[in-house]
Amino acid sequence: MNMPPETGVRAAAAALVLIFALIPTLGLQEYWIYILTIGFFYAVLASSWSLLVGYVGRISFAHAAMAGLGAYTSAMASTRLGLPLYASIPLAALVVGCVGLFLGRICLKLHGAYLGLTTIAFSEIFRIAVTAEHGFTRGSLGLQAPGFFATNGRAQYYYLFFIFLLCVLGTMWLLLRSRIGLYFAAIREDEDAAASLGVHVVRWKVMAFAISSMIAGLAGAFYAHFVQLVAPSMMSLQEMGLILSMAVIGGFQNIFFAAIGGVFLEVLLELMREIGGWRMTIFGLAVMVVLRYAPNGLVGELIRISYRHVRGWVT
Amino acid sequence: MGLLAFTEQVINGLVIGSFYALTALGLAIIFGVLRIVNFAHGELYMLGAYCYYVLTSVLGIPPLLGVPLAALLLFISGMAIEASIVRPIYEGKVERVDEYAIMITFALAIFLQNAALAIFGPWTLRVDAVFAGRVSIGELIISGDRLAAAGIGVLLIMGVLYVLHRTWVGKAVRAVSQDRATAAVVGIDVARASMIAFGIGSALAGAAGALMGPVFLVYPTMGLIPAIKAYVIIVLGGLGSLWGAILGALILGVVENLATVLIPDTTRALAYKDAYGLGLLILILLIRPQGLFGERTRRS
Repeated sequence: MNMPPETGVRAAAAALVLIFALIPTLGLQEYWIYILTIGFFYAVLASSWSLLVGYVGRISFAHAAMAGLGAYTSAMASTRLGLPLYASIPLAALVVGCVGLFLGRICLKLHGAYLGLTTIAFSEIFRIAVTAEHGFTRGSLGLQAPGFFATNGRAQYYYLFFIFLLCVLGTMWLLLRSRIGLYFAAIREDEDAAASLGVHVVRWKVMAFAISSMIAGLAGAFYAHFVQLVAPSMMSLQEMGLILSMAVIGGFQNIFFAAIGGVFLEVLLELMREIGGWRMTIFGLAVMVVLRYAPNGLVGELIRISYRHVRGWVT
Repeated sequence: MGLLAFTEQVINGLVIGSFYALTALGLAIIFGVLRIVNFAHGELYMLGAYCYYVLTSVLGIPPLLGVPLAALLLFISGMAIEASIVRPIYEGKVERVDEYAIMITFALAIFLQNAALAIFGPWTLRVDAVFAGRVSIGELIISGDRLAAAGIGVLLIMGVLYVLHRTWVGKAVRAVSQDRATAAVVGIDVARASMIAFGIGSALAGAAGALMGPVFLVYPTMGLIPAIKAYVIIVLGGLGSLWGAILGALILGVVENLATVLIPDTTRALAYKDAYGLGLLILILLIRPQGLFGERTRRS
């Protein structure tokens, strides 16, 4: 075989997209179509989280909270203000983006740990506030939101979320290939060197955090009109732990690996239903092992191993 | 608000503040020596409470002995955690050091929290307090279990400060926190000092959990709010500053108790009691990001 390994990876990626595009036509149980749709939602969250963590080197623990903020904003705007979904969803993205800009502005001038500290406090206290203001948010009962479609066809939502995921991945990929992506990489490798060469370090860190949060908010808004009920539990740190597990196990240094991790772990979560509470215990342990011994994630390792084999065939 | 009510709130605030000081001090010691924020600190607190529960309620050990034993168990666990997941950072075995440190401690938190959930279930457990009853000073009434726990907490803090300032081990730990390389040059075993620092930090969190378990019940996510408060406190005091952590804890305790009277609706007031910390955190980051005792460095 005399093809360069990159071609192999591209062919595999194209095959993966094709398989996922055909899945609803293969007569899979509706239940699994539903699970995969949720998997796409998590894929958006995991990959947008890795945009910040893997490419800029800063860590946010508010990603689940940002998704929740987006979900509540869109649900409230559509039910209480009567806005149509094409207005309420962009509004949600805007609100979350502004919160991201504010939090980023006050934390990202400082040591890397400050963003983690502030976002963890923000996310938990925001969840408490949403639960406490039950007159406004219906608390832990959950807030109802209108659906995207008049009929609740599983395949419709499947394709909606699949296309949404592809659009988000495509946009992030274009962003990372642009000059801005180079700024991100420069900041990640050496902030001082980047600053000395004229990169507005703080500005681009804040932008990265705001964009990453905004995508989470957008995903949350989509999710709200898919499950049609938003509850404060979607903003818990447990949920954040799940997003982190998906990104790290898939590979947080690459948005595509993280997305695959999102779908993979959601399916795994369903397959391992019988062991209940042990699932997240196992994922937590797996994250520690992967971080220590395979920092490129399982997808990264898989590709590395297959490269070695391809090289073996060539020589 | 009358003078009596005011004094009562301030005293309650100082009592609560001394618990916060236990967790925050542990976090500050770990940050000082290892330059990492331990995002599993709340789960070490939770682990301390469960150790205390197993020791006193299951094995029948007297509560007064249960607290130091739980702290000892957490000291050992802390050293094991340092040796297994934190030390690789200083041995150059991981790339992307800052991200690794934050994510691995958070993953540890997820692991511990869910392990507790799977083993003990989501229910709240009731455990025996070190001391029951009420203490009245003039017209002031303070619940005895809190006061006794706060007393033990203060003794523990004083003990740790004594060890850090007056013993060789403590001086070694402080030397490493001032300058790792120089400490190694003058012959301090940096790896051992780091392990001991993480052990002390965990033991303090565990002792706090053991002392607070009887007051606030024991359940898997009990460490979340205390940990978030500890994060707010160390930012308020200045990352890595020991006195900053203690003073910050007392300030937060008093602020929370005084601010509670601002919201008349009691259920909401109780829910928002934990939210003042976030307001305080944002205020510090805006006005004085280096904290009360922190050094003004641009970035580390």
